[in-house]
Amino acid sequence: MELKRVAQNLSLPLARARRLPEFGALVAFLTLIVIFSLLSPKFFTLKNLTGIFTIVSELGIMTIGIAFLMICGEFDLSVSSVYALSGFIFVTLANQIYSPLAFLITLVVAAVIGFLNGVITLRARIPSFITTLGMMMFLRGIMLGVTGGETVVYYGDSIMPTLLSRFIGYGFRPSHIWFLALTVLFSLILTRTRYGNWVFATGGRKEVARAMGVPVERVKIINFIISAVLAALSGCIVLARFKLANASLGLGMELEAIASAVIGGTFLMGGYGTIFGAFLGASLVGMIRTGLVMAGAPAYWYRAFVGAILIIAATINLKLRRLEM
Amino acid sequence: MERQEQKQEQGQEQDKLVRMVNISKRFGAVQALKGVSVEVGRQEILGLLGDNGAGKSTLIKILAGVFPPDEGEIYFEGQKVSFSSPGEARALGIETVHQELSLVGMMSISRNFFLGREPVRRLGPFAFLDKRRMDEECRKVVTDIGVRVRSPDEYVSVLSGGERQAISIGRAMYFGAKLLLLDEPLTALSVKETRTVLSHIERAREQGASIIFITHNVYHVYPIADRFVILDKGVKLGELTRDEVTPEEIAEIIASGKMTI
Repeated sequence: MELKRVAQNLSLPLARARRLPEFGALVAFLTLIVIFSLLSPKFFTLKNLTGIFTIVSELGIMTIGIAFLMICGEFDLSVSSVYALSGFIFVTLANQIYSPLAFLITLVVAAVIGFLNGVITLRARIPSFITTLGMMMFLRGIMLGVTGGETVVYYGDSIMPTLLSRFIGYGFRPSHIWFLALTVLFSLILTRTRYGNWVFATGGRKEVARAMGVPVERVKIINFIISAVLAALSGCIVLARFKLANASLGLGMELEAIASAVIGGTFLMGGYGTIFGAFLGASLVGMIRTGLVMAGAPAYWYRAFVGAILIIAATINLKLRRLEM
Repeated sequence: MERQEQKQEQGQEQDKLVRMVNISKRFGAVQALKGVSVEVGRQEILGLLGDNGAGKSTLIKILAGVFPPDEGEIYFEGQKVSFSSPGEARALGIETVHQELSLVGMMSISRNFFLGREPVRRLGPFAFLDKRRMDEECRKVVTDIGVRVRSPDEYVSVLSGGERQAISIGRAMYFGAKLLLLDEPLTALSVKETRTVLSHIERAREQGASIIFITHNVYHVYPIADRFVILDKGVKLGELTRDEVTPEEIAEIIASGKMTI
């Protein structure tokens, strides 16, 4: 009798919680934390968690950009190459000039790449998947060609590295703050501003948005730029951490970022998604790698694990949305 | 005497909400419209009829500002107008309602209602949605229309086709539409929903709008129309008022491509 009443009392808030777009990702996240903590006593320590959060932040900043773009209906596979390229541009410039200036120029270059991605996709009318796939390969090829696979070392000033990655006590880094702040910022933009409404409409049904006066092309190009700039920020952050740039940095990260966004509830086809979900998705994917290693599983299993979670999460997310829509 | 007649004619012309005069439009090798003239009076429901490919949608798109005519003029409320974008037409009070293309299923009713015309509160560079106002106004209109939903935050996808049409029409009227362009509004609706949507269209007329109702099925529009204009292969076959003709006769005209009256 008691149990029945408890179940009934739980069912209403549970039903409401289920409507949260991030429900699936949240459940998975909490479950995995518990599992990994049980499998390894050192998992749930501040040192370990902040270490994980560092990796999560770098992936997560890229994921925010990609999720924001996916919601308006486009893809950006070139983020991993922009990530690596930004590291190179930043280190090359910062070794010669004032590092904040080098940082700004790097972001501008990324913005231009994002702009090109957008303009080519829209003018040539080819799927953004193709445009950005080509751009990814093109940029990566240029980096390999120019560097010949050699590593470039950072010996510029310490301003940007401090602002981006230097430890600020107890294992925390500025990159964590950047990630949290950007999550909040883009979440607000998406859900509370007029522009966010335009992003949803552009991704949901472009023709309807256009008919209602939404500047659909402009929204897409802006989101392409945002995706590239956030990838560049992430690239500069990781460079500031290792003080090294290499042409193989971030290989395959674009797929991790897309997987994180989808696990967090963003629809592949656009029109639906949340930034907090992107945050959770990146946290999940970032946590799995370390968690597996600490549980004693070989790190190679990481990819398989993420792949399985991606399929399960996407299925659950879709089923939950279908119930509401 | 002549001047009196001229003045009378001018007066009559100015009574008309819209006058499309001698409109022609070609797409490549296809002459979609040739020398078509159509008028709509105030608070009038005009049935724009014709078989598929007759040019009805093209005419309406020109009126809605989607593209300009190659030849001809448009007069709205007595003034000559030419639109370079749908936004300009909408600003004058010309609104289009498509069954499929008016609402985004994956967004809430409230967000859809104000799409492109969001009420905002500015803070720095950001235009924040005035969500409270959006929800209140939307709720008022939706209740007024008679669509029953738990809240304006419900997804549009939970609404039936007829409800979506009703909300699209209600939205257009809320934003002050003077001319509603309905493109095949009753296709794929059930019998009950057809009745409901027709009553909403009549309500819009009572609220002061004129309506151009496009369809190839005369039985859709006959119950509420005042007048009919029939197009065939880009040319106007003729114009009839409702008391001049039966729906069967109109269907015959459309099918045969000739004015058999």
